[in-house]
Amino acid sequence: MLGVAVSAAMLLDMVMLATGMRESFASLLGRTGFTIRVSPRGTLPFDSEAMIGQASEAQAAMYRIAGVTAVAPVLGATIHVLGHATPITAFALGVDPAVQGDYQRLEGTEPTAPDALVASDALLAALAARIGDTLDVAVGFDPQLLTYAGRRRLVVTGRARFIYLSATDRAVALQLGALQAMGGVDRSDRVSLFMLRTAPNVDPEVARAAIERALPRVTALSTAGAIAEAEHRLSYFRQLAFILGAVSLVVGFLLVTTIVTVSVNERIGEIAVMRAIGVSRWHVVQQIVIEGIGLSLTGAAGGLVLGIFTARYLNSILRGFPGLPDAIEFFLFQPDAAFRALGLLVVSGIAAGIYPSWRAASLPISSTLREEAVG
Amino acid sequence: MTERTIAIDERLATDAGLHVGDRVVVSAEPGSSTVDTVRIAAIVRGRADPAEVARSEYRVRVHLDQLQQLLAYGDRVDRFAMLTAQGPATDSALRWINSAAFGFRAYRSREIAVETSKTFLVVSRFHRAIGMITIVASATFLLCIMLLKVDERRRDVAAMRLMGISRQTVVQSVMLESSFVALLGSAFGVGLGFVTAALVNAHYQSVYRTPLRFAIITPETVGYSVLLSLLLGIGAGALAARRLARTPSLALFGR
Repeated sequence: MLGVAVSAAMLLDMVMLATGMRESFASLLGRTGFTIRVSPRGTLPFDSEAMIGQASEAQAAMYRIAGVTAVAPVLGATIHVLGHATPITAFALGVDPAVQGDYQRLEGTEPTAPDALVASDALLAALAARIGDTLDVAVGFDPQLLTYAGRRRLVVTGRARFIYLSATDRAVALQLGALQAMGGVDRSDRVSLFMLRTAPNVDPEVARAAIERALPRVTALSTAGAIAEAEHRLSYFRQLAFILGAVSLVVGFLLVTTIVTVSVNERIGEIAVMRAIGVSRWHVVQQIVIEGIGLSLTGAAGGLVLGIFTARYLNSILRGFPGLPDAIEFFLFQPDAAFRALGLLVVSGIAAGIYPSWRAASLPISSTLREEAVG
Repeated sequence: MTERTIAIDERLATDAGLHVGDRVVVSAEPGSSTVDTVRIAAIVRGRADPAEVARSEYRVRVHLDQLQQLLAYGDRVDRFAMLTAQGPATDSALRWINSAAFGFRAYRSREIAVETSKTFLVVSRFHRAIGMITIVASATFLLCIMLLKVDERRRDVAAMRLMGISRQTVVQSVMLESSFVALLGSAFGVGLGFVTAALVNAHYQSVYRTPLRFAIITPETVGYSVLLSLLLGIGAGALAARRLARTPSLALFGR
């Protein structure tokens, strides 16, 4: 029973691994309703330091594409918060607060003024700051002269949870124009990424293709495309899940087969007696198969509990990837997928019981009686 | 003016259909007015760098001054890599640079590797955890099979006991058998491991187009695996044999 439970647990974990990444990533991308991401040509969002120039023109061009209802520009940069023993470095997002999809405000107000920002809890804790405090912020550190460029005093107007970052990341969001101005000529009218919303009746793939035709200097990626790209990069885990899941199924099948076979072999005499008194072959097989089903069901139930615990442990290991958004789960319990997998194990248990039971029920009655029940 | 040359990686050469001698136009951004027409002088093999595996990036090697001009970067670089005579020379170089260079910091390559390897540490931990779970599952399966298989011979053992053969002899014979099977299994497992590692490397090197070896079997790995399988096999045999030996002989006959 323990062996079947362990196989069932392993199978369940692999099913959770195979589907978890995809589902949690899709959920993360679809959370804010943005269906297309636009990044510099040949890159993925924030994959490199490349930026999209002439951003205003690009944004206007995207709004002219049929079906596009919102275009959210995003500029990423590193900022340094001064005034402490050592400057504290954080990740900054320049956004349009009216149409952004990068953070969820937890407290305070949006950074609608040029000198306002919202910050993550991790940054506020590192700075021992709170809403209303003024921070001395700079970009562009010159290591030779030890000077900072683009220095400004910004007021913390809110606390935010950054959707695509982990809870321990130090981050701020401020007006796009303010961050561009702080970056000087290097960041003038430049963004790292656009996020677009499309109308419900519009196929995002059609809009995506139209964007790439209108703006050859960008790469547009729909949510489906982004998921496919992420799956490709993490294909190792899906393949591992498939292989270990298949092995678990085979092991479970072999285990049930062995247990049923040994059980049948011990009761060959009894089976021969039953056959001798008129019990049909089919009835004998049915009884033994039911025993196999019972074994598989009990093992599956135990495996379900064991599998959930081991999945939590393995998930906690993989969530240690640096920079992984909090919303990403590698092992995601989805009842229908889990019960399908365990149902497959039960079906294999049925199949495992059929052959040994049919073989036992088909033995010649008289010789079997003579050898087993009488001799 | 002498035509400048670049080197491209073999993935880019394959995907774009480029060859040595071809002329290409390079620019910092698509549609940029600052372009440079160059000739491909070499095609280089990708590095066995795990950090590059999943990124699917193309790599081009350009002369430093050429790239600085293309990017309008001025007389700047992102970093220097230094080769030193090992040992004290490296230490003194580090000390001198960190004290003399204004606004720079020098690191040993090993320190950078450790810092940038956090992703692979997570993967290693995950592999170890999966390995432990697999070992537990395999041990459970092995114990079940051993108990059942030894139990199949209960009548033979009962006959031996009734003839006067001691419990100890019965246990020893079962354990000898299980040790032999464990040894055979270990040898088979090592061979299977080498074959599987070769298949894994061939598959993923083809998928990610990299010379990186994904699975490496070391003498330590082989030693650990063989020791573990022997312990599990012999342990399972011992448990099964003890269980059988403790059962009264007549009970083994079903009387």
